[in-house]
Amino acid sequence: MTIQVKREKLSDATVVSIGGSVDIYSSPELRGELKVALDAKVKKLVIDLGGVAFVDSSGLATLIEALQKVQAYSGKLLLCNLSPKVLGVFQLANLDRIFQIRDTREGALEG
Amino acid sequence: MADRVRGIRVTIPSDVSYLEPVRTLIQEIASLAGLHKDAVNEVELAVTEGCANVIRHCYCNSDRERIDLSFTFGDDVFEVRIDDYGKFVDPSRIKSRPLDDVRPGGLGVHLMQKVMDEVTYTKNRWGGTSLTMRKRLARPGEPRKDRSGR
Repeated sequence: MTIQVKREKLSDATVVSIGGSVDIYSSPELRGELKVALDAKVKKLVIDLGGVAFVDSSGLATLIEALQKVQAYSGKLLLCNLSPKVLGVFQLANLDRIFQIRDTREGALEG
Repeated sequence: MADRVRGIRVTIPSDVSYLEPVRTLIQEIASLAGLHKDAVNEVELAVTEGCANVIRHCYCNSDRERIDLSFTFGDDVFEVRIDDYGKFVDPSRIKSRPLDDVRPGGLGVHLMQKVMDEVTYTKNRWGGTSLTMRKRLARPGEPRKDRSGR
């Protein structure tokens, strides 16, 4: 198992905290965890990547898929706590311009 | 005087659960080669993408095939070679999606090309594809290449 996922339902947002490696191996599990929040059409979905040590293109694809589903029902998806290594992968794919990225969880919950 | 060549070879099953141990190996071998920490992370990403493409596209997600990995380095370059035993893939058909066409998938090739200095595909002696990726080793004090392209 290369991933840990924790889902918390707050009053005005759902926070999904991820740890480990988000790669071709773990992406199906992450997709399943995100599906629960997406099916419930939560207004604000915060994905805390603070525990993520590695992300590949499969991980990016899973997050893009989630973003597009949230946008389809006019919800909001924010990412937070990206390490410089993980943020670097988003930047390589220009995805830091597509996702709303905040430094902290508090910042994501506010924005 | 010729470069001293060092390296390691491993064979893994075409099973995505083996990519995490491969990344651990890369952290060790690339550090031994003297790669900067950021460069080690970039090699880790490129190899993950290369192996994932083999598993997904060449072996159609079968975990019963084999992938040979070779890591070699001299004084100037760190080289990774990924060999599969499937059908040779025409390099002209290997393309990334445009970055402004935001959709899931199609980023693996872009990431490999972005983080490595050279990416080449050739037909190997088993009829499969040999993906060779090279990264130039930065000299002490040399500034790191900006990979973001901005």
